[in-house]
Amino acid sequence: MDVQNLGYALTQVVHNLGAVSVTGGAAAARGLNLAEPQAAQRSLAALVLGGWVAQAASGVCFGAISYLGYGRLPDIHGIAVGALMLKVACAAAGFTVAALYLAREAGWSGPGRQRAWTAQLALALTALAAAAVLRWFS
Amino acid sequence: MTLFKPLLIICSLGLSGAVLAQDASVTISSPADGAKVSASMPTKVTYDVVPGPKGDHVHLYVDGGEATVLRQLKGTTTVDTLKAGPHSLCIKIVDKAHTPIGVEKCIKVTAG
Repeated sequence: MDVQNLGYALTQVVHNLGAVSVTGGAAAARGLNLAEPQAAQRSLAALVLGGWVAQAASGVCFGAISYLGYGRLPDIHGIAVGALMLKVACAAAGFTVAALYLAREAGWSGPGRQRAWTAQLALALTALAAAAVLRWFS
Repeated sequence: MTLFKPLLIICSLGLSGAVLAQDASVTISSPADGAKVSASMPTKVTYDVVPGPKGDHVHLYVDGGEATVLRQLKGTTTVDTLKAGPHSLCIKIVDKAHTPIGVEKCIKVTAG
């Protein structure tokens, strides 16, 4: 078994679980009735926050495996670079929204929380779409 | 923090890739190194790649910039019309993550 491919595969597992967490967590929270206990939404916010961290960390790990193996980063260009930048921006924004939610949601109105989840879901779906473009245009 | 320990281990697995793919090779059969090509029409590049255990596909570079990704390991591809003057064409084998594994073939051509 090629150990480097194993590294890529395990990193991909973490990356995929992160994607599921941010998308599924945001979708579930977005669909919750606002009368639901806020504790449930806080749990989902923590899941989404962890998902974005996993996405970012595993993304860095992809690059690290390439760099450790060959002394250089993956060679992507054009549309793929744009897609990668979009993914990074989504991760940064998603992390920020989730962290703000956990820190300040007590003072937010119901519609305010819904807007946060809508934004979170939009960021997750955009990141997923960008990932597909990155995969096949590089 | 528990997330980062396994990721660190996973990342360290990349060290094992330091051994280059010794069985990999790239051949550019056309145009020949030093050949003169047309500056008024696209240039066809015929190549043959053996990816070895580390390689997956190849990238084609024109003057150091990536021009296209080649999924086929053998065949002919077309490079956009080159401006008059000297140019370099390189084909590099990359792994599944698009990282060059260090096996490549570069030629110089002159468009005119």
